[in-house]
Amino acid sequence: MTEPTVVAGAVIASDKSTRKPPPPEKASDVRRRTWVILSFWFIVLCLLPIWWRTTTIYRANLPLDEMLEWADGKACRPVFPLRISIQADALQEQEAQNLLRLTQHALDDLNDFSGHHLRLQLSPPSTVEHQSRDRDDDTALIIRLVPGEFTSSTLDPYAPILDITYPPNTIPSPTSSSSSLAAYVASQLRTTFAEEQAIISYLLSTNSMPTEHRPQGLTPEAAESLSKRTTRSLKYAPTYHLTFSLFTSGPLPSSWDIEAAIDSYMRPVLDVLSPIHNFTIDTQVQLYASPGVQSQILNKEDLSSFVNAAEWPLSPSIGGAPTINFILFVGNQTIGSTAPSSDNPDDATNITTTSSWLLPQWGTVYLLSLPPSSPHVSLATLKQPLLTFTSHLLSLTGTPQSGSLPLRLSTLARIRSADLLLRASSTLGSLARLSLALPSIAIPGSVADGVQKTMAHLRLACETLGGAEGLAHARIAEAEAERAFFEKSMVGQLYFPDEHKIAVYLPLLGPMAVPLAMGLLNIVKEWTKRRREKKERGVEKKNV
Amino acid sequence: MNGGKAIVGRTSTRTAVLNLYLGAAVLRLALFTLFRGLPDLLTGRVEISTPVTSFKRLQEGLFLYNHNVSPYDGGVYHQAPLFLPLFSLLPDFSTLPVFTYLLYIAIDLLSANALLKIADAGEAGSSALFTSLRRDKRWSGLVVAAVFLFNPFTIATCIGRSTSVFTTCAILHAVAKAIAGAPFSAMVALSFAAYLSMYPLLLLPPLVLLSFDRQLPARATKSLAQFATSHVAIVGGVLAALFGMSYLITGSWEFLPSTYGVQLTLSDLAPNVGLWWYFFVEMFDSFRSFFLAVFWMHLSCYVGALTLRIRRQPLVVITLLMGIFNIFKPYPSISDSSLFLAMIPLYRHVFPLMRYTFLVAAIIMYTTFLGPAFYHLWIYAGSGNANFFYAITLVWGLGLSLLVCDLTFAVLRDEWEVERPEMVGKDIRQI
Repeated sequence: MTEPTVVAGAVIASDKSTRKPPPPEKASDVRRRTWVILSFWFIVLCLLPIWWRTTTIYRANLPLDEMLEWADGKACRPVFPLRISIQADALQEQEAQNLLRLTQHALDDLNDFSGHHLRLQLSPPSTVEHQSRDRDDDTALIIRLVPGEFTSSTLDPYAPILDITYPPNTIPSPTSSSSSLAAYVASQLRTTFAEEQAIISYLLSTNSMPTEHRPQGLTPEAAESLSKRTTRSLKYAPTYHLTFSLFTSGPLPSSWDIEAAIDSYMRPVLDVLSPIHNFTIDTQVQLYASPGVQSQILNKEDLSSFVNAAEWPLSPSIGGAPTINFILFVGNQTIGSTAPSSDNPDDATNITTTSSWLLPQWGTVYLLSLPPSSPHVSLATLKQPLLTFTSHLLSLTGTPQSGSLPLRLSTLARIRSADLLLRASSTLGSLARLSLALPSIAIPGSVADGVQKTMAHLRLACETLGGAEGLAHARIAEAEAERAFFEKSMVGQLYFPDEHKIAVYLPLLGPMAVPLAMGLLNIVKEWTKRRREKKERGVEKKNV
Repeated sequence: MNGGKAIVGRTSTRTAVLNLYLGAAVLRLALFTLFRGLPDLLTGRVEISTPVTSFKRLQEGLFLYNHNVSPYDGGVYHQAPLFLPLFSLLPDFSTLPVFTYLLYIAIDLLSANALLKIADAGEAGSSALFTSLRRDKRWSGLVVAAVFLFNPFTIATCIGRSTSVFTTCAILHAVAKAIAGAPFSAMVALSFAAYLSMYPLLLLPPLVLLSFDRQLPARATKSLAQFATSHVAIVGGVLAALFGMSYLITGSWEFLPSTYGVQLTLSDLAPNVGLWWYFFVEMFDSFRSFFLAVFWMHLSCYVGALTLRIRRQPLVVITLLMGIFNIFKPYPSISDSSLFLAMIPLYRHVFPLMRYTFLVAAIIMYTTFLGPAFYHLWIYAGSGNANFFYAITLVWGLGLSLLVCDLTFAVLRDEWEVERPEMVGKDIRQI
């Protein structure tokens, strides 16, 4: 019974009494341990280049200075040289030249905005071929001087032509330094292009253009009305989707001649807009549609909530293109007289505001009251709504409102190219600032490509500003800039500060690193100890 | 004194072995045929079928292969191309599944046979450079083979028809051949294992050492460097030949990224009993490639160190590496555990030195039951989430790593006691 305890006690006692230092390690064991530790470190060393290769963030070289120059407007000074040719068949060459010179002087005196420059030129006596060639030549406007009874001017509604009649005695003499006709022509031109000039100067002033390029003389009221207009119009897109919806409050009408109506009343405008935008169209009919406001007479506050967004199938966007909604609502509701028809005082369609209104950046609602039993909306009934829609479409796309239609459209093209140019430039600037602000953001090669393309097209657009080519280049530049800025792999890394790296490395690699480091430390310690001992032994030997 | 009894106990008699094999085969065949739903149930379990060993995926690849479509189209099949002609030779699985069953049973029996030879050679107790004091206390090959054949993990793997049994068989044969003094056959077998699953290539250094130690005296190479070079060259040559055959079969090198690439990049994140999938589900994308490298380096960093440290017992190194691979490889399954657990009984003589046997046995049993339960809660009942299953796989990994550590400790202590006979039976402290 007692034996085991005695033995155990003896073991413990011997353990305690013989706490002698352990026998020295064999040299081969030390060497082996060194090799084992080094074999782990070998793997770590193999890992270092892999670590470097796999965790360095690829940052493509971006031409940051150039990009910032574009954003600050230093790279391109948007200049719209508008060529205006004067046809004066009844005048002598000498007289015409003189008139041209005087008019140009008058124009230059009036003009305070260098970016928008009207340049006159004399066109040879008009023939049909010449006219057509001139039109191709990006001539913004043709002035036809015709002798007549008194001084008057009319804009041709179908072509960019300004007809000016003048009494023959107003022709300036070759020596005179001023002329009433020249002044008249200059002021007419200035009024014709006043709106375009105002819009472009407004665009430039809202962007980060250096002040010396900025036009002066934009009155606060004008700026306010322009900003109202720009907020109303949709953001530029190469394609718009038009949705025509017939909503009826009851079971009838259930069909409409919308295709024919679009073809006859809207297609011409869509065709002339086609160099700037593409349009896709769909239509729908819904019966028993209840509007968002039930009251019989709608006042101004009701108009914004009339569209029943919850129940009406108006999808926000089809296939990526922004949607413009045109709603024809058949019911017995009317807009109350308290609703001021001056809702949009500068709207060209003031007459129709009693039954329709425009929702900014969204579309138009037209209220139509029909006899209760009519099952079909005929082409004739659709004429007024469609014309309203068309004029609202122009205003939604940002077309200026004064002047003849061809002039308005060419102005729209110029405004859009300026807008796109500025937008692409500012996107470039944002990208440059972003890459400067976040040094750890990855910049894939595709972004650098996009930036290069954007800048190439911006340069081309800047050179050919004002023409159709300029618009095309500006469109590409803007699309490329957006694509580069919203590059997916870049956005995913947007917020990844350096503290996160510690959070990634430390918990996973820290525990591995401790034994490795301690092992290495031990090797170094042993090695220095051995060297010291060797030295001491050497010294002793010498002393002996 | 009782030498005769010991000999009877150690060398397995032919009839006993045959009875064992017959019993194992009958048990498997009965499970295959009597429980109709069992094979498919087990095939679908994530614990048994990983993306790189699943029998279902093999059938998909086989179907594509037999219809002259590249088996790697569709990104489902990630296994070696040579499986395809092998399984095409068998009668159609849907009509005559018994041939596939027989093939899998035969592979299991072959593995058991190799294990029996390893055990009977006594390499575990006394290698060329080291003889344990405790070597007399060991189990016969019959017992070791029986532990392997009747291990539930082995049976489940066989019934689940995971293709990892082929790798297991190749590895065991490589070891058996190396011990038997046939280094060339060992290298060929290891090449097959490496071809099928890639990771067994890491067993090459200890296996070369084992073959070197166990060369037949008649035609022994004296220089280790020369021996190692020639045998690495053999492995390289066999692998090149296998790749060439694969190229001829599939007609393109597409199989390389689809089989080894998937293991290297872990592109299939299906859950399994390993530690990788959850980690890489959570990992930030920008660090993914770096941590893939870290995990692979971690898997391979033990090879050199263990080979150097336990130079005198290469079989121990191979066993420990199997345990480490079982924990840290990208797509582990219980098939790898069955291989590791099959090697443990060879070390019967160091069992008394192991300290955590009860704990390890408890952990392994506990996770074996809780793992499927938590997987069910996560996937089918929806009352748990991925963390439930991952927690259990962590505990499973913990149990296995405890076993690896414990075995390492026991083997080193055994070596140390030979060096310091006066310390036998005494407690040790680390200083």
